[in-house]
Amino acid sequence: MERMRVNVAVGVFMLLGILALGYLSVKLGRVSLFGGTGYRVTVDFPSIGGLKAGSTVEIAGVEIGRVESIGLADYQARVTLRVDGTVKLQDDSIASIKTKGLIGEKYVRISPGGSERIIPPGGRIREVEAPVDFEELLSKYIFGKV
Amino acid sequence: MRSRHRAVVFVVALLALVAAERPAQAGEPIEQLRTQIDRVLKVLEDPGLKKDQRAPERREAVRKIANDIFDFSETAQRSLARHWAPRTPAERAEFVQLFADLLERSYISKIEVYGGEKIQFIGESVDGDLATVRTKITTREGSDIPIDYRMLHRGNRWLVYDVVIEGVSLIANYRAQFNKIITTSSYNELVKKMRTKQEEFLEEERQRRTSLR
Repeated sequence: MERMRVNVAVGVFMLLGILALGYLSVKLGRVSLFGGTGYRVTVDFPSIGGLKAGSTVEIAGVEIGRVESIGLADYQARVTLRVDGTVKLQDDSIASIKTKGLIGEKYVRISPGGSERIIPPGGRIREVEAPVDFEELLSKYIFGKV
Repeated sequence: MRSRHRAVVFVVALLALVAAERPAQAGEPIEQLRTQIDRVLKVLEDPGLKKDQRAPERREAVRKIANDIFDFSETAQRSLARHWAPRTPAERAEFVQLFADLLERSYISKIEVYGGEKIQFIGESVDGDLATVRTKITTREGSDIPIDYRMLHRGNRWLVYDVVIEGVSLIANYRAQFNKIITTSSYNELVKKMRTKQEEFLEEERQRRTSLR
């Protein structure tokens, strides 16, 4: 009887441990179960220069979503964002790819617009700014003068 | 039987006409932009207008063309973004005017130093009522500067509302600046700032003109 109780206690303890581990890995890995929350919007960039799935989407420096996937459409980069459901994006919002610091990671910055039309779930942000290619700019200044 | 055949041919011809109409329409933004830019270049290359004394006249001509191809109110609205909605119609009209002055100060006066740089039209993409026309300016030093014009369909014309130079959007630039000024001080402060800048500019112009005489 005593032995049985110990076995059950160990079993319960193990189960709790496994659950905690699962929770931790989901939380740390930022894996979204059940397709995640919020809604999807797509953006077509001429180039994305280092942006990855999982990169953050920010307004005024506050994270409002993440890059869900990146694909190619008509030789442009089609980036799918998953945006927090409470954040409304206006029709004339501008999505730009920015770098954290000088050589930091890339993220998508959205500058909210003033239009009355709101981008519906599954819609598209039509105003974009491609990342500034520092190397290209630099080479222009170095080799520019012929 | 014969008349039926003819009817089919007629319908096919009509369909072809409708289909042919579309690419012609899609080619419009680039053509309209090209026409206006050619007009500007003609003014700038006019030897009669090149003299310093006639600079105001030349600027006036360029400004007129700019009004034909730019939708300043759209640019102003998008730059002011969420601070646009609370403005009264009178405030909006004043802001559009001040913003057009600002653009003229910073850009139209710059293109007066134009010296035969080559402008290439690369292509366009139309997306509903919006279009992007991609161009490239080759400077005299030989470096290329990509300039994209964002245009929107108004009536039967395509008007430019944003210019993207080297991937940097004009609207995004002003939107960030205006937002900063309005949130740190106030809208009135922004308007006051823009107004004094314009007055200073006009005063400078007046002095330059009198010293030329």
